[in-house]
Amino acid sequence: MTAIARRQGRERLQGAGLDLALPYLLLAPSVLIVLGVLVYPLWDGLRASTKLYRYGTPIDDIGLQNYLKLWSDDQFRNSLWVTIRFVSLSVAVETVLGFALALFCLREFKGIRLLRTILIVPMVITPVVVAIVFRLIYASDAGMFTAISQALGGGQARILGDPTNAFLGLVALDVWEWTPLMFLILLAGLQSLPQEPFEAARVDGAGAWRSFVDLTLPMMRPILAIAIVLRTIDAFGTFDQVFVLTHGGPGEATRLVSLYGYDTSFKFQETGYAAALFVTVGLVVLAFALAAVRLLRSVDQT
Amino acid sequence: MRERIFRAAVIALVVGIVLLPIYWMVSTSLKSNKEITQETTLYPHAPSFDNYLHLFSEKQFGSYLANSLVVTVLSVVIALACGTMGAYAIARFRLRFGLERKIGLSLLVLRIVPPVVILIPVYLLMLRLRLLDTWLGLVMTYTAFNITFCVWMMESFFREIPVDLEEAAMVDGDSRFSAFRRIALPLAAPGLAATAIFAVIVTFNEFLFALALTATPRAMTMPRGTATLIGRIDTDWASMSAAGVLGALPIVIFSLMVQRHLVRGLTMGAVK
Repeated sequence: MTAIARRQGRERLQGAGLDLALPYLLLAPSVLIVLGVLVYPLWDGLRASTKLYRYGTPIDDIGLQNYLKLWSDDQFRNSLWVTIRFVSLSVAVETVLGFALALFCLREFKGIRLLRTILIVPMVITPVVVAIVFRLIYASDAGMFTAISQALGGGQARILGDPTNAFLGLVALDVWEWTPLMFLILLAGLQSLPQEPFEAARVDGAGAWRSFVDLTLPMMRPILAIAIVLRTIDAFGTFDQVFVLTHGGPGEATRLVSLYGYDTSFKFQETGYAAALFVTVGLVVLAFALAAVRLLRSVDQT
Repeated sequence: MRERIFRAAVIALVVGIVLLPIYWMVSTSLKSNKEITQETTLYPHAPSFDNYLHLFSEKQFGSYLANSLVVTVLSVVIALACGTMGAYAIARFRLRFGLERKIGLSLLVLRIVPPVVILIPVYLLMLRLRLLDTWLGLVMTYTAFNITFCVWMMESFFREIPVDLEEAAMVDGDSRFSAFRRIALPLAAPGLAATAIFAVIVTFNEFLFALALTATPRAMTMPRGTATLIGRIDTDWASMSAAGVLGALPIVIFSLMVQRHLVRGLTMGAVK
């Protein structure tokens, strides 16, 4: 439906009397609950971020000092850096694998329904349990890698004890959990593409690779972009998995910014500082989302 | 022929990668701790359900499960009821100052911000209301998050329904509200199902807020209860794996049952 037709439809439906109050009545429950449980706390969090807390209670107004402190906090900067590395590596791998798999499944064949059913499992399993699954296979004493290595006559596998391996192990977990979502979105996108250009290309004698580069890729660009943006935003807030799998260790190798903020608040009781940290993270994510939307629109128009 | 072998190989590889880790957890959960750490066998040599029984008899997994069910059902039902009405208002009415569009946009922004960002103030709010470690505290929080999601999803479903049908009903004497209830709502039922399913999965799986807002088996949900096990006894792999299987089972069964709607809910928005 076009925007104009929609607007006309709305005007035609706007009745009189009690009906005039109807939209407000319909919106009221949602708006009140969200105001009370999300918006008010958001405002409260902004206020808390300007206070100095000792043992969980505010003792002083310190303006923007919490925010200034973030700039010079090496642990915060490290956690941000770990998060950025984690997000970009995971999302990149998921996009490539998901896209490849979607292209592979585009033509109907036997077994595809089974494949799709099985691929649902990783993304609906409780994230905490996903982390348990991976702790179990990585464990140096009880793990699957150790069991396999011992069955082949080797020694224990060392994964979560080593900074690089632990980081890659966390990325592998995320790839295992979320590649299926990429796959489903991109497959739905591929299936929605018009068929005529591909047929024309085939008539003109273009090979599979040419029609992929010249047709599939450009036509899929908006959907690819949206899928990447959604996944990036989501991955930025990753918490459960890393909390259970490594709790940030070894050292700070896998300490994502969400975990650092959580520990700052609930372990070290620096509530005001943690609030400032999360306000900053929220603004970074929003800015990213806004920039992405702008970019998508400008791509759409050209 | 070559192509078919290649295809079968790819499918086998993908299925293997997805299922092998899960197999390992299930297999571990059927072993004794001794077999797990000392013998490190590839499959349980003397499978038993002792680890599971232990969870129910010693670790309050019965209450975790009950808490999860109550909290999930309540918050999804309330959010769906409120969110559907709100979404309808946004999709169909023009309010003063473009209020409906502003509300829709604000809810979208609240969805984009990672939930962890408002964890601390929500915790402070529940502390002040004395709702820490209660069902009500969790239900309130989850309802609010689910509303932001429901409104956003349902609005696009209502927009797909042509306005003329409701108009015709009103010409036939329906009030504005009964046109919504009798005409638009049934037509949006598939969308409602997709939304509900998605909300159930996300709510049942939620961990972060459960971690901060609950502390005893009185209100702890399944993921939260599972995590206590990990913290206290670091190497009790037997309990941990059984808890993992138990924690995931309800939601995996549910998802496989409603698969068709689920895929629609997961992929929509991105494709349109």
